[in-house]
Amino acid sequence: MSYASIGKRLLGLAAIGLLTAGLSGPAFAQKTIKIGNVEPLSGPSASVGVQGKQAREMAVEEINKNGGIKSLGGAKLELVYADSKSDPTVGVTETERLINTEKVQLMTGCWNSAVTYPATQVAERYGVPFVVPVAVRDTITERGFKYVFRIAAKDSWWVRDQFRFLKDMQDETGVKLKTMALVFENGDWGTGFAEKWRALAKKDGYELVLDEPYPSTASDLTPVVTKLKAANPDIVMLVSNAADAILITNTMAEMKVKPKVTVASGGGHADPKFLENAGKNALYLFDEVEWNTDVNKPGAKETNAAFKAKYGYDLTGESVDAYVAMYVIADALERAASTDPEKVRAALAATKLSTGPAMICSYDSIEFDESGQNKNAGIVIVQVADVNGQLDRVTVWPKNARRAGYTPVFPANK
Amino acid sequence: MTAVIQAVINGIMMGAMYGLTALGLTLIFGVMKVVNFAHGSLLMVGMFAAYWLIKLTGIHPYLSLLVVPPLLFFFGYYMQNLLIKPVFRAEQQVREPLTVIIVTTGVWYVLDNLALMLFGAEYRTVKTSITGTSFSMGDFIVSIPKLSGFVVSVATAVGLWLFMVKTRTGKALQATSLDREAANLMGIDQYRIYNLAFGIGTAIAGIAGCVIMPFYYVYPSVGVVFDIRAFIIVVLGGLGSIHGAMLGGVIIGLIESVFSQFMPSTWTEAIIYAVFLVILFVKPSGFFGKKQDW
Repeated sequence: MSYASIGKRLLGLAAIGLLTAGLSGPAFAQKTIKIGNVEPLSGPSASVGVQGKQAREMAVEEINKNGGIKSLGGAKLELVYADSKSDPTVGVTETERLINTEKVQLMTGCWNSAVTYPATQVAERYGVPFVVPVAVRDTITERGFKYVFRIAAKDSWWVRDQFRFLKDMQDETGVKLKTMALVFENGDWGTGFAEKWRALAKKDGYELVLDEPYPSTASDLTPVVTKLKAANPDIVMLVSNAADAILITNTMAEMKVKPKVTVASGGGHADPKFLENAGKNALYLFDEVEWNTDVNKPGAKETNAAFKAKYGYDLTGESVDAYVAMYVIADALERAASTDPEKVRAALAATKLSTGPAMICSYDSIEFDESGQNKNAGIVIVQVADVNGQLDRVTVWPKNARRAGYTPVFPANK
Repeated sequence: MTAVIQAVINGIMMGAMYGLTALGLTLIFGVMKVVNFAHGSLLMVGMFAAYWLIKLTGIHPYLSLLVVPPLLFFFGYYMQNLLIKPVFRAEQQVREPLTVIIVTTGVWYVLDNLALMLFGAEYRTVKTSITGTSFSMGDFIVSIPKLSGFVVSVATAVGLWLFMVKTRTGKALQATSLDREAANLMGIDQYRIYNLAFGIGTAIAGIAGCVIMPFYYVYPSVGVVFDIRAFIIVVLGGLGSIHGAMLGGVIIGLIESVFSQFMPSTWTEAIIYAVFLVILFVKPSGFFGKKQDW
């Protein structure tokens, strides 16, 4: 067979495909509501992007199985994905495409603060409601935008709680920590954290001995760790994306850098792949998350079990945010009884969600303040510990949420 | 001062491995006058091959050096023979066949996305007996996987150089690199030489994959991390020059490691490019490049 005739056949097939797609669309399908979703699905943050994608998928499947949006005649939710590659420029183009070409009614994403910041701006311009599960940079909800809503706590709260934790633990154990090193990825997220760390460190009287941004895609982090070794701090504060979290932890072990306390900020450190790849090198690391598998909320265990059975790993704080975001969207659509962006926006702004599957989150109700920030978002600190020969993330702070019977190892190294 | 010496040690070790990633690129360019944009992807293929081999059989990571490079040699050999050669033939009269560059870019995209489809986007590391091991020399710590990588890199460069100057095939490669028409007239089969060059270049990417795997992670677009550096190194050292690539690699490694002791490490990237620009102005042919390469 010649190439030309294969080509013709393929063309014929494609034409048939197009025809059937065109016919089946409006004629037979139930009404669907398209939700655009920009995530890092390839590149260094791909694994967290994929986790967010799977959490959303599970929530949407559940919502659709339970009858979709009832006030809209059982309309189904449909997720339309685009890959940001963690690149702000790509994120913006993809958001434009989803809104203009795919005609999505709502947007969600984008995990990276650096991508979410401009992407939300695009959505605001078009008047498309944008629900941000995670991407914690403060300014995302501080631009007076009307269409942007965020589920996760913003970074000033994260940073505030890291310092509260350090203070509480020092009071509890009587250990005094003096010097501090800041090591963070040089994106919007890391630099945003670092800015606030500096102010709080000054206020709480820690001496900063190192202030080091690094590129997430570095092929080698030994230079950074060498600096850390020379600075010899009591406390190391970390913000890392996915892959670099592993590299930095393993390199610290290799170079025998043993700070008394290491506090991470979720993200790469909260990724289940992190423990798998860093193993014992991560022992006694503190990490800050919004949710942990041992959280004491009805349904949390079951949802996590269902998720693990489906995808083979535990939910993380960030995937819970993504999961919850879908229920927040469904709830708003239900109350709006319309897909008109104005009405959906108004319904989102009036959200007061305190029942249903979304309540696996660590707090009791989801409400947005005027800026679109979830007022109640809460944070816990976990410690990586060896529980019966298995590395586990154990909730240690706030003290009333601490896993029963666990004494935090503080400091981790003498 | 301790930190600086530590940084120098680390910079030289990493630099030699950067040089190794650039070696295949410079060889293929030297012989074929083709910029192989798929080089990073071939490195990724090498890393995945090493990953699966170590993961599934549990062999010592450096035993993968006996398996992965030969596999990649055939991979590269036949890739050139089946994909690139036809294009090359069509562009016989052109000095620098641009279409081939487009083909290699296509290969890059296909390989990266194939890996994404097969293995998913997640990054993977192997736990081996040497991962995370190091020894102390006084105040300094030397990472064993990186030291081994350094040794293998230097050995590969020396081996390649010996092959190029001592063997008949190596001389044929050199002759083709100097003037392919003349080499053709002397009875050297140009396309066989290209197959060989591509095969060897890919095998070296395989060697690089094996030595990087014990301390780094692999994911489908990992090639990009090393790729851009490899291009700079190749130009820095002189297109087609083996010792140029190694020297270029070590210089990049040292800049990255030592300069970041005095400034935020995000700045070293800018410095690498600044040095690169200066070299392009002062000596456009690189350290060891000939003025008129072809």
